[in-house]
Amino acid sequence: MSHLISYQGLSISLSGRLILSIDQLAIPFRQCTLLTGRNGSGKTTLLKIMSGLLKPDAARIDYQGLNLSWRQAKPYIQKDIIYLHQQPYLFDSTVFNNIAYGLYRNGENKTSAHKKVNQALEWANLSHLAHQPANSLSGGEKQRVALTRARILSPSLLLLDEPTASMDSESKQQTSLLLQRLNAEGLTIIISSHESHTVSHLIDRHLHLENGHIEELNSASRNNKVTPFKTTKNTHINE
Amino acid sequence: MNNLSQATINAFQLLLSGNAGIWEIISLSFSVSLSAIFIASPFALVIAFFLAFFQFPGRRILISVFNTFMSVPAVIIGLALYLLLSRSGPFGDLQLLFTSKAMIIGQILLSFPLLVAMAHASFQAADRRAWETAITLGAKPYRAFFTLAHEVRFGLIAAVVAGFGRVIAEIGCSMMVGGNILHATRNIPTAIALETSKGEFSHGIALGIVLLVLALGLNAGVSLVQGKGGLHS
Repeated sequence: MSHLISYQGLSISLSGRLILSIDQLAIPFRQCTLLTGRNGSGKTTLLKIMSGLLKPDAARIDYQGLNLSWRQAKPYIQKDIIYLHQQPYLFDSTVFNNIAYGLYRNGENKTSAHKKVNQALEWANLSHLAHQPANSLSGGEKQRVALTRARILSPSLLLLDEPTASMDSESKQQTSLLLQRLNAEGLTIIISSHESHTVSHLIDRHLHLENGHIEELNSASRNNKVTPFKTTKNTHINE
Repeated sequence: MNNLSQATINAFQLLLSGNAGIWEIISLSFSVSLSAIFIASPFALVIAFFLAFFQFPGRRILISVFNTFMSVPAVIIGLALYLLLSRSGPFGDLQLLFTSKAMIIGQILLSFPLLVAMAHASFQAADRRAWETAITLGAKPYRAFFTLAHEVRFGLIAAVVAGFGRVIAEIGCSMMVGGNILHATRNIPTAIALETSKGEFSHGIALGIVLLVLALGLNAGVSLVQGKGGLHS
């Protein structure tokens, strides 16, 4: 099996307007894909369909060797694929509880969840914020909490909608570093972004949405990835 | 004026002396109204959630119906329920008329549209990302509902408190389907009406004080809860 997941004949119309009409979209394992397109081109819609949050008008999905309808695939993809909003939503609780949320929902016991959350907080260098109300964090901190909250669930695919939009340069750098580490851990990532330069060092593949259709612009080799923050990686975040 | 002052003093004496008759009425009032709210709230909140988060045929009509029923007078609800529960009515065999169960049913009907309308407004104002985030993090829909309800809890608590406030003080429905029977269906509003008509002002004032204190408490509670919600918004 060469791909993690692939979508065929994916289409959706909203308010009578065709938003997406994609013949084939295959997501290779462990790659980081950049998804671009102008405003309103359907990037968010595509990511929400891919994560099972939005029902397409039509789609067949190849996943784990099975060819499934969207309805059949929904339970699998909702379990294994995590979508992060442009401005991630953190629940009205502490950072710790936010990160533990998915673990509890998946039936993890309290002791094990606490251990995993503490490890995840250390991984993201967020331990000092563990008991802060999540709503009091800055945009960059919220994004890092959301990424940590997603990572702890070990998804097979992470979909990020404009993860560095409206962030200052330091927050962009920290978020970018976390993404780099997630990808290095083997996580498949799709990033929708206008600011391709911020994540350019991560990208293996570049998809572009235009008039509801998707095209591959170019595919960089992993070896050719630019790593502008390489020197700061170990000083900012604990491995 | 002297009569009023004396009646008020007597009222406080009645309340503080633990007058069994007065406290029985107060207890029945709370028991009926709290039961109605406890039964109505879960259903109302779920319906409000569906109205706010899902598109389905007839959704707008349903919202209009609930908004309309919010302003239907209690006595009209009482009349309709009386006709349904009376011996010749379709549910006469249940023999519920002039029982506290009939009063609970009446108060459920009274509070339901208010609960749905206020909870719907809260869910409508909720951030849709909360629902999507819960789902994408692996929550089953019913768990995601509880997460969302927690996010808008201040609005939902205000809805429940407002619903309780509506039913604890209503007289029309309780009088019609309860019958104001001593030791059985006499609650605060029906007792006030009866005692006042008999010239027993101190009893009426004593029960009025309870409603007044309750109204003040509920308002203070709602203000506190809404103020807390504001801090996080």
